[in-house]
Amino acid sequence: MWHKISWRLLRQELKRGELTIMAAAIVLAVTAVLSLSLFTERLQAGLVSRSAEFLAADRVLSSRQPIAEEWIAQAEQFELRTAQRVVFNSMAFAQGQLALVDIKAVSDGYPLRGELRVAQMPYGTEESAGAQLPQPGEAWAASALFQELGLQVGDTIEIGQSEFTVARVLTYEPDVGFSVFTDSPNVLIRYDELAQTGLIQPGSRVRYHVLYAGTEVQLNAYYDWLAPQLNSDIHSWRGIEDGDSPLARSLQRAERFMLLASLLGVVLAATAVAVAAQRYCQRNYDVVAIIKTLGAGRRQIQNIFVLHLLLLTLFSIVIGLGLGWFIQAQVIDWVAVQLGTSLPEASAKPYLLATSTGLISALMFTLYPLLRLIQIPPLRVLNRQLAGTARWRWLHWLLSAGAIYALLLLYSQHVLLSSALFVGGALAAVVLLIISQCFIRVSRQAGMQAGSSWRLAMAGLQRRAQANRIQMLSFSTAIMLLLLVLALRHELLADWQRQLPADAPNYFVVNIAPQDVERLQQEFAARDISTADLYPVVPGRMTAVNGIPVRDEVTKEAAGDEADTATNNSEQREGFGRELSLTWRDSLPPNNQLLAGQWWQPDSTEGQVSVEADVAKRMRLQVGDMLEFNIGGHVFEVPITSIREVNWGTLQPNFFMIFNTAVLAEFPATFITSFNLPEPRKSELFELFKPFPQVSLIDLDALIGQLREVIDQVSLAIGFVLVLVLMAGILVLLAQVQASLDERQQELVILRTLGASSKLLNRSITYEFMILGALSGVIAALAMELVLWILQVQVFAMSASMHWRFWLIGPLSGAVVVAVLGRLACFGLVRQNAAELIRKLT
Amino acid sequence: MLIQTLQLEKKVTTQEGILHILQPIDLAIEAGETVAIVGASGSGKSTLLALLAGLDIASSGQVLIDQVNLSALDEEQRAQLRAEKIGFIFQSFLLIPSLTALENVMLPAELAGQKNAEQQARELLVKVGLGERLTHYPNQLSGGEQQRVAIARAFIGTPKILFADEPTGNLDAATGRKIEDLLFAMNEQSGTTLVMVTHDSKLAQRCQRILTMEAGRLTEVPADVA
Repeated sequence: MWHKISWRLLRQELKRGELTIMAAAIVLAVTAVLSLSLFTERLQAGLVSRSAEFLAADRVLSSRQPIAEEWIAQAEQFELRTAQRVVFNSMAFAQGQLALVDIKAVSDGYPLRGELRVAQMPYGTEESAGAQLPQPGEAWAASALFQELGLQVGDTIEIGQSEFTVARVLTYEPDVGFSVFTDSPNVLIRYDELAQTGLIQPGSRVRYHVLYAGTEVQLNAYYDWLAPQLNSDIHSWRGIEDGDSPLARSLQRAERFMLLASLLGVVLAATAVAVAAQRYCQRNYDVVAIIKTLGAGRRQIQNIFVLHLLLLTLFSIVIGLGLGWFIQAQVIDWVAVQLGTSLPEASAKPYLLATSTGLISALMFTLYPLLRLIQIPPLRVLNRQLAGTARWRWLHWLLSAGAIYALLLLYSQHVLLSSALFVGGALAAVVLLIISQCFIRVSRQAGMQAGSSWRLAMAGLQRRAQANRIQMLSFSTAIMLLLLVLALRHELLADWQRQLPADAPNYFVVNIAPQDVERLQQEFAARDISTADLYPVVPGRMTAVNGIPVRDEVTKEAAGDEADTATNNSEQREGFGRELSLTWRDSLPPNNQLLAGQWWQPDSTEGQVSVEADVAKRMRLQVGDMLEFNIGGHVFEVPITSIREVNWGTLQPNFFMIFNTAVLAEFPATFITSFNLPEPRKSELFELFKPFPQVSLIDLDALIGQLREVIDQVSLAIGFVLVLVLMAGILVLLAQVQASLDERQQELVILRTLGASSKLLNRSITYEFMILGALSGVIAALAMELVLWILQVQVFAMSASMHWRFWLIGPLSGAVVVAVLGRLACFGLVRQNAAELIRKLT
Repeated sequence: MLIQTLQLEKKVTTQEGILHILQPIDLAIEAGETVAIVGASGSGKSTLLALLAGLDIASSGQVLIDQVNLSALDEEQRAQLRAEKIGFIFQSFLLIPSLTALENVMLPAELAGQKNAEQQARELLVKVGLGERLTHYPNQLSGGEQQRVAIARAFIGTPKILFADEPTGNLDAATGRKIEDLLFAMNEQSGTTLVMVTHDSKLAQRCQRILTMEAGRLTEVPADVA
């Protein structure tokens, strides 16, 4: 019979709007989590699939030795698509001239992600190559090679023992990479014609790649099979999220931001549920007392209200799921139109997460109020002051805190991030309790001197001291989270903006002969093109560290027993495996930051070298280590005197090794620089570089375009996240205001009866919410700084900074938003006359 | 003997010391009697009502309902006893605001597991003159109408005892008289034992016995004096 009563209570209360806030809070929690996680997952999948183009595949296996055919055959068993790619340097001959080129031999199916673009003439209008590759006997070459060798489309070039017709101009390869020192023009040939060139000999400096495309499940299953057979000295397995490129870092940062934003939604929704649950249970104290008086046992009451709550929760979750799906579908549609791309479908995980969030929020946060509700004594029918026992209050805090942390962890699966937010929230709570206590004490005195509206407002705050402390906690949390998103958005976007300024160089010029430097600079000046600094470049190899040779490319002697060498000599470091571009400079380059050691004096005569931080870390190099270099047969040693951090995202010329002038000035060098030329002026390039045939030009426009597109997607996502968190915050505030309405109603009856004017009541209510909001804003700003400090330093690996404007924005926005919401929520209350209010209360 | 108290006492400990709300009370009420308990505010009459109905626990002494000692029952058993034998009418009506008049009346019968709760409730509401207002919510009814619903609720399941706490205290004089008439008429029809707490001496005089509560002491006013 109790289930009938439970169902009836739910039906009637829903119909009468009594459960609106409670249901809205759960709907909000589920909607926020589902729409956000669906959107995040689809966007991330979209980002990864777009980014997969940078690899031309979903995963790449790289090797210094030929890759076993069996491994490729096995990939087909896992239903993966594969393609092979072999990359090496060689010389190309044509028209009696020769040039160093990067040969890329690819099999059918390449590229598995992204596309090749070609043109009919050098620097001509590009078009997609579709699924085409060079025909047998054909090669496609970059514009720079046409320029260097004076080629025309249809001419013949000689590579090793083979001859190829240069059929098209290669303008874009998805996997060209970010390294600006791939300074030789690329030539694309067919994989099955590679052997005929006779260029691949034991010991050749060749990189073998197998490209894979398929679903995550297939890729992971294949990797599980492959991993035990890989030798980390020879093989590397890469996805787009690995590696150290600016894109990979941006993706990682974006992923963390999405995660964080999702967590904010969860905490806000849980707060709304907690507030609504408390109010819901308080409103049912009388009902429980009446039902107990009429003969209901504790078990019956328990069954009635637990079922009531479960039904309400399930009902709200279903609505939340529908609404969440609808919202993300709208946003995804909009994003798809904006970006001209479609995003992949999401898995079932977001639905499970949203449902668990709804269940955990509703059940964990209502457990304590429900316990109190069930314990309401029947005697309350005669004595309305009786409200059951409050001795398990600690349980409430434990359950709430545990539920929030569990949700954070469940949702982020990132202990550090969850803990930072949790600790931030806990700190806010403690600080809030202390500050609000002080404030209430001060207001007791200040209120006595203030005008009547202020006095009433202060008195209101004072009277509801305990409730206000809890309300302030929620207001502060909401404002803190909003500030945090604003701050992070600003910080992250600013960081990205710094990475890619509007005038980021889109061309690199390399191989500038010393005698051409002046003439080239004149040409640039004549055409009003500004360039970055000119850097001299000397090619050289790093051969030893502290007297111990580095392990470099496979040599003929070592090819057979490389693995043994690696295990036998742990001191031996892995080298670069290629020639490095070495430079010298008197001053620290812009966008570089010294991490250790000191920069040299311009006139220093002792040899010194400064090493890039990531290289230093990978090769375990420290200030004071001696590095040995070989430049054109000349071998010398220099000490490391500094370690530099380089911002690779600037697309300026950057170097792993920078020497002082004394070391390198005597070696023959070429020069390198970068410049920005807008797209419409692209046709000027051919004329500009015609007098400098040996100069190579590297087009970064396509790369920058791709990177900017990814960042545009991330920025849009951040905008969406912000709107969602803002909405969740406003709803929490409304739930809070609603929670205090009953008590306010009682006060208004008294004040109205005593003749208080609407104006006075309006003002006192506005001021009360304003003070509450402003104080919450101050606390929010403080807590936000703390959390941001932890996040910036620990999670996002940025440098910490203070955000003074938020100390103004926090209290101001808190005061305005809470006052407006409070006034709106109390609007109907103040307009009622005393008789109506009294009738309502009785 | 339907209701009996033996040395029933209620005291609470305050900062100033022990406060005796009820001095030891011995009382016996036969089945079918109508009893009024009168007294000033704070004299302890509502406390006595709460103890008699098993809503509160005595400090010492016993309450026997139908020979069952309430002190020996736990909260669950006392609730069970209320469900089976006791009906209530309160000054502030105490209807559940989210349930209709019909649903409010059905509630005690449903809690007691009776199957024809709705039929009984409809008949009772017709009897109290609210046959047309079954689906109205408490806030859509006047004070008098709400108390009629409460009376109907009190009589569902034909309780042996009806406890009424100031049943007309929140009503105007004319409505109050109508409610009194209805209450006594229904009580007479069902033969229920009525124990009523009231300020109203006129209302008290309609009862067979009048008990006066003064500073926690209960004395019976002889019928010829009342």
